[in-house]
Amino acid sequence: MNALPRPSTIFLAAITALVAVLLYSPLFVPIVSSFFTISHGNVDWSSPTLATYVALAENHDILAALRTTLIVGVCTVILSVVSGTLLALYYHGRRSGRSFLQFIIFLPFLMPPIISGLALLIFFREIHLERSLLTVVIGHTVFVLAIVYRTVLMRLQSMSRTLVEASYDLGATGWQTFWRIILPNLSSAMVGGAILAFALSFDETMITILVTGTQSTLPVRLWAMMRLGFSPDINALVALILMFTVLLCVLAARFLIPRQMATERT
Amino acid sequence: MSAAGSIHPRERRLSLLVTVLAFALPVIFVLVPLAIFLVYSFFSVDQGTIVYTPTLGNYVRFFTDPIFLPVFWNTIVLCVSVAVICILLAYPAAYFLTTLKGRWRYALLMLLLVPLLMSYVIKIYAIRSILGLNGFLNKALVALGILQQPSNLFVFNMNAILLTLSLLLIPFAILPIFLSLERIPQTLLRASDDLGASGWQTFLRITLPLSLPGVASAASFVFVLAIGDFLTPQMVGGISGFTFGRILYSQFGTAYNWPFGAALSVALAIVVICAILVGERFGRNRGTSI
Repeated sequence: MNALPRPSTIFLAAITALVAVLLYSPLFVPIVSSFFTISHGNVDWSSPTLATYVALAENHDILAALRTTLIVGVCTVILSVVSGTLLALYYHGRRSGRSFLQFIIFLPFLMPPIISGLALLIFFREIHLERSLLTVVIGHTVFVLAIVYRTVLMRLQSMSRTLVEASYDLGATGWQTFWRIILPNLSSAMVGGAILAFALSFDETMITILVTGTQSTLPVRLWAMMRLGFSPDINALVALILMFTVLLCVLAARFLIPRQMATERT
Repeated sequence: MSAAGSIHPRERRLSLLVTVLAFALPVIFVLVPLAIFLVYSFFSVDQGTIVYTPTLGNYVRFFTDPIFLPVFWNTIVLCVSVAVICILLAYPAAYFLTTLKGRWRYALLMLLLVPLLMSYVIKIYAIRSILGLNGFLNKALVALGILQQPSNLFVFNMNAILLTLSLLLIPFAILPIFLSLERIPQTLLRASDDLGASGWQTFLRITLPLSLPGVASAASFVFVLAIGDFLTPQMVGGISGFTFGRILYSQFGTAYNWPFGAALSVALAIVVICAILVGERFGRNRGTSI
């Protein structure tokens, strides 16, 4: 698409730069304030400090919320990767009933989180399941399942059938074929799906607010604190989370993108 | 999996388990809650307890009470505006990405998508501080001489919700537009060039029509995400920025009327389903597989 004249390219580049600035400005604010003091909207550039990071290490409330979030994230990843992979294996190559159940799996991801969250809230109440971390994990798993399912299913569909046939021809049992051929081929899609699931769970706020009990995850804790305003150490936490998230993105891209582009080429 | 050779009893038990799981999981944790939710919308509340007798009262109240329909309508208009703003910004950016070559293209795409994974709550908070009276936006506008003094125009009202949601959701518009632009065959553009069309003519006659499916998907994504959000309006909307999501959420908190909240959710779900269907219908790529 190089047919456009030069001024248009400059215009497009300018808009793209503007979009990038708009997208990154909200991230820039907490990072800057984690190193510098801000009063009345003016940044005091003269005295960088790590005091916020020290304060963060002593904020047990926030650290407990962070730990809760990590526990929820890990449980969600395990549950969603196991069930998502099983569902993908089950529905791969099966036509009957697939589109309907697939639609159900995708519903919580397509519907606004407030609807999924409220539906689960009433459901838990009706089955007399006390709101706790368990209900949060269920909520998160239902939410991210579609992503893992789709990632694994896409890999299964791009996997060559001849691999499986060759395995059977060489005398392997179905079980051996699964462990030696199918699972290794799926592993990078599963890892990629797991990272995405973890990232989504880590930041899930709207469903969590509705189904959580007394223990809150980090986003919910931050949400509760936000009404009163944040203490400066929150900025330090945010800066750390941003770095961690970027790392996750790079990892997810490594596991998901190269393979898919490679399969597209062949 | 189901191919020849699977006679081992352990395998058979496993495949039975998988079958049960494959049906039970989605049904129990998605379908049943949604069904109960729908049923709840026909119940009512009397002095803090839920009355389990079916009634259409909640729906009648939604359509007759002078509060709910206007808020509902205003929220839809707000979310359509958010979608329009997002597309106006995302389209040129996505187009620019497709003019780049190889590695740069995906690196820049990644750069524009990464903010999606950053903490939603923190982003809202940061945007509020940017829009606020002492915020960067006011400072910039005053410095540029556009405003005489800092204004409260950008925070704690509908404008604030509009701006914040647009800022949060732009990446969701970039991706589908980028994908549809990337799928346009280069041969079509070269043919148009060979036949003597100018850059603009090629864009208006070839590129734009073929990228409209991506625009439709982008619009439906952004709209659905915007209309379901109750955190942003709560945080930056103040008293005047009242959206449907906020009213809905309050039914489960301060107002404590779960059945009425369920009925409001049904209304929301219907709008969302329409938006998704419209996105599906116009978002399907046609004629690009030449």
